Amino acid sequence: MTDLSSFSDAGLVDALLMEVAGMLDRLIERGETATVDLRGLPLSPACIADLESRLGHGEISVQLDAAGRSDIHETGFPGVWWTRHADEAGRPIALLIEVTTVPDILRADPADMADSLQRLAGATHFASHQHARHG
Amino acid sequence: MTLLDFARGIGLQAAVLIMIFGLFWRAAGVLLLRRRPQHASSRASLIGRIAGGATMIFSRSIPRRTFWRRIGVSVALSTVFHVGFLAIIFGGAPHILVIHQLTGLSWPNLPKGLVVIISGLTLTAMIALLIRRIAHPVTRLLSTADDYLTWLFVFLPVLTGILLSGETVAGYDTLLALHILSVELMMVWLPFGKLMHGLLVFASRGAMGFNFARKGAAT
Amino acid sequence: MDESETLGTVLKRRGFSRRSLLKFAIAMTSSLALPPSIAPLMAANLARAKRRSVIWLSFQECTGCLETLLRSSSPTIDSLIFDFISLDYQETLMAAAGTAAERTLREAVAANKGEYLLAIDGSIPTKDGGVYSLTGGRSNFDMLMEFATDAKAVLAIGTCAAYGGIPKAHPNPTGAVGVEDLVTNKPIVNIPGCPPVPEVLSGVLVHFVSFGKLPELDDRKRPLAYFGTTIHDQCYRRPFYDQGKFAKSFDDEGARQGWCLFELGCKGPVTHNACASLKWNGGTSFPIESGHGCIGCSEPDFWDKGSFYTSLAGGSSTGWRNAGIAAAVGIAGGAAAALSARRKPGAEPAGPDPEKPDPDKQP
Repeated sequence: MTDLSSFSDAGLVDALLMEVAGMLDRLIERGETATVDLRGLPLSPACIADLESRLGHGEISVQLDAAGRSDIHETGFPGVWWTRHADEAGRPIALLIEVTTVPDILRADPADMADSLQRLAGATHFASHQHARHG
Repeated sequence: MTLLDFARGIGLQAAVLIMIFGLFWRAAGVLLLRRRPQHASSRASLIGRIAGGATMIFSRSIPRRTFWRRIGVSVALSTVFHVGFLAIIFGGAPHILVIHQLTGLSWPNLPKGLVVIISGLTLTAMIALLIRRIAHPVTRLLSTADDYLTWLFVFLPVLTGILLSGETVAGYDTLLALHILSVELMMVWLPFGKLMHGLLVFASRGAMGFNFARKGAAT
Repeated sequence: MDESETLGTVLKRRGFSRRSLLKFAIAMTSSLALPPSIAPLMAANLARAKRRSVIWLSFQECTGCLETLLRSSSPTIDSLIFDFISLDYQETLMAAAGTAAERTLREAVAANKGEYLLAIDGSIPTKDGGVYSLTGGRSNFDMLMEFATDAKAVLAIGTCAAYGGIPKAHPNPTGAVGVEDLVTNKPIVNIPGCPPVPEVLSGVLVHFVSFGKLPELDDRKRPLAYFGTTIHDQCYRRPFYDQGKFAKSFDDEGARQGWCLFELGCKGPVTHNACASLKWNGGTSFPIESGHGCIGCSEPDFWDKGSFYTSLAGGSSTGWRNAGIAAAVGIAGGAAAALSARRKPGAEPAGPDPEKPDPDKQP
C-alpha cells in the first residue's frame, strides 16, 4: 500500500520555519507573542514529523494533566515551543508552535490562584486560628 | 435543483435523446438519397471494393506531397488537435468510466498528467487553427457560423475538462456541471452542423474508396 | 441550577481548573478555524458565561440527529458546556411528558424571551395543514412559527431541518420543507448532515456562548469553519484520486488497498462537511475510511440525485424505450427529407450525358 505518511514537502517546512523566525524577531523587538495552529495547515504527518525534528528539543519538557494530557517542550530554539494537547480520551485536539517566553497555559491563572489560596488557608492551622478569632 | 443536478439528470437525458434523434435523421437522410446508377462492370471484387473503402479512410488523412509546403502547418496542427481530442476521450480515466457505466467495457487509462499535457496541446492547436481560419483571406471568406460554432462547441469541453482536472478557477461542482453541460451542448450540435464530419468522414471516404476501387482507380 | 451561576463556577465545582478551560478554548479555536491568539479571550468569556437557554423541538425526524449528539460516558468540558447550556425542553431527553412537558416549554420561553436558542431537528410538513406531524395536537408548522418569534436564533440541526432531508425526497407526500423555507426574519444556522458531525454543534454553541454571536456562515447558512471545504479536499485517499488509482468494485484489490472510491459513486468532491477531518464516534472513522463512498448527506436533496453508486462522471439514463423512440422519429424524419429530395428534379448526381458532347473536351 502506498505509504501516504512518508511524503514530506521540504519547501513547506522551510516556509514555516521562516515564518517562525519572523515571529521570533517580533517577539524580541516588540514583545509580541504568536502561535501557529499546525492543524489548520495542509501538512501531512511526515511534514509535521519533519518540522518537529528540525526544531528539535531544548532544555524544558512539560507534561500537563488538565482535562487530558498535554505535552509542551521548548524546541532547540529558545522562545519557540512545541505544544501538543490531547483530551481525556487521548485524542489529539490541538498542535501548536508557540513563539513566546513561556506559553500562557503554563502560567497559573489568577482565578485558580485565588481558589488555591482559599484551599491552602483552609488546610492550615492558620485558618482555624482565623476562625477562632473571627468566630 | 443545482446546475450539476440538471446536467447529470434531465439535461443528460435530453441531450442523449436529441443526439440519437439527430444521428438517425442524418443517417436515414443520407443513406436514402438517390445514387448514380453504375453501368460499367466493377474492376474489383466485393472484397477489393471494401478494402478500397477502408484504405481511403486513412489515405485521405495524408495530403499529397505537392501540397505539403502550403498546408503542412495546418495539417500538423489539425492532426495534433484530432489525435489529442481522441486521446483525451478514450484515454482519460473519467471518460473510460462513463463508457464503462454505459456499456460495461473498459480499458487501461492514460496517466492523468499526460492527459493534462495533451489537453493543453489540443487547446493550443485549436486556438492556432482558429487564428489561421480568421487570418487567411480564403478561409475567412469561406467560413460560416457553422464553422465557428462547431469550433466553440468542441473547444468548451476541452477547456472545462482541463480546468476540472486541475480543480482550479471555480468549485468542483461548478466545474463538473459546466463540463458536463458543454459536452451535452456538443452532443446536441453533433448531428446538425459540420461536427457531423466526425462520423460522416468514414462514410464519405469509405463510399468514395469503394467506388474508386470499382473503377480501378488508386485509393 | 442557580440561574446566576457562571460556567466558571460550574467547572470549578466539577474540579476543572481555569487552565483546563484555556486548553479547551485552544482546541475550540482550532476547530472553529479562529486565530489561536483568541483562545484566552474565549476562555475568559466562557468562564463568565451565564446559562443560555436552548429549546429543542423535534419535528419530522428519525431521532438520529439527537442520538449523534448525546454525550458519551466520560465527562469532558465539551459535555459540561452542553449540559450548562442546557436543554430546557427536549421531548426525548426530559423526564416530563404530556401537559407537564408543555408547561415546561412555556415557562422556558417566557423566562428567556428573546434570548433562547431554538434548535430544530426534523423537517416540517406543510401539506394538508401540516397534519402529518403533530405534537400534543399541534402541527410542527404552528410550533415553529410560534417559538421562532421570541428566539434569538434558530439552529436547524440535520439535513431534514436544514433542507427537508429524507421526508422531502421525491415524491414528498407530506410537503416537507426545511426551517429556512419558513422562518425568514431570524438568524438561522444550518448544521446539515445525516446525521451531522457532533463537534459542529459544540463549536457553534461554544462560539455563541463565548462571543454572543453565531460563527461566520457560508451562502447555505452553514458554519464556514466546518463546511468551508469539501470531503474531497480533506480526504486521506486524495493522493489515490490524483494518481488515478480507483477501486472498481467493492472488495476488489483496489478497495482492499484503500484506493479512491470515485468510481463507486463517492460524492466527496461536491459535498461540504467536516467528516473527513473530524470523523465520527470520537474520531474513529468516516464512510470513506470504512470503504463506502460519500453519499453527500449534508447537501440539499441528496436523496434525489440518482444512485449513490453512479459516479459523478455519470448520470441518469434515458432508458432503451425512449432511445428507441428517438431513433424511430429520427429515421422517419430523415427518410421523409431524403424522399422529398429524391423526387426533386436533378436529384440524381449529375454525370456526363452520352448524347451531348462535353464542351470541355476536344472533339
